[in-house]
Amino acid sequence: MIPELTASSGIPRLAAIEHPFGLTLGLPDDAARQLAVLRGALRALVEISLPGEIVHLPFDSDFTLKVNYQPPEPPPIARYLTLHPWQLLKFLNRTPPEKT
Amino acid sequence: MEHVAKVVDSYRFLDGISKRAMRRWAALGTPDQIPWTPLAKPLSQCTVAIVSSAGIALRTQPPFDREIEDRDPWFSDPSFRILPRTAKAEDVRVCHLHINPSFAAQDLNCVMPIERLNELEALGEIARSAPSHYSYMGYTLRPEALLHDSVPAIIRRLREEQVDTVLLVPA
Repeated sequence: MIPELTASSGIPRLAAIEHPFGLTLGLPDDAARQLAVLRGALRALVEISLPGEIVHLPFDSDFTLKVNYQPPEPPPIARYLTLHPWQLLKFLNRTPPEKT
Repeated sequence: MEHVAKVVDSYRFLDGISKRAMRRWAALGTPDQIPWTPLAKPLSQCTVAIVSSAGIALRTQPPFDREIEDRDPWFSDPSFRILPRTAKAEDVRVCHLHINPSFAAQDLNCVMPIERLNELEALGEIARSAPSHYSYMGYTLRPEALLHDSVPAIIRRLREEQVDTVLLVPA
């Protein structure tokens, strides 16, 4: 996940985890890891006492060495920017062009 | 040996332009006011709901419209889906175009830990897993429809079901 980006949105409480997209809680059928992550997030809910505070969950991500967590094909915006590189600055500035 | 606390690397799993963009977006600034509602009661007395950005729809519901994002790659389907607390991987489709959907297709708890939350209910660690949980498409650079239509509708339903706390789970 991208906790720095989430924090910048002004979310009141944040439990950060170093897992890739698609595997927020852990691998399929790894109920122990999934439960531990869920408990960690709920503990953060209780423990965080100041708006905007972040708790970094202490989980490793060694399992990611064994899996392909990338999407099966590039998402539409990646394909679009390859064909329209002059729009890259708009993407980086999060200022999409007007709808046509 | 002194214990060193884990500090999560926000950008570890990103590469190239994605890493550059996310760093830039994170640096665009934080709102002056961060909303804050104190937890009014112990977790063991709370009803908890999950909101997932994985774009998950029941097979009995219309899927999220991927063609919207194909037509306008700055935007995605701004609607949301309601999933019951009994939902499992075989009941759903994962529509998000920016993740590998195969993990959640095998085990929904990878991105939407509904079964794990039900287990915490059985153990008495929370009072109740809400009757309904929610999902939307987590990528958009045009969030107006999502914020003006879907989010208020989700909040209304959360209130109707007397949900005390919501776990927002990014995908």
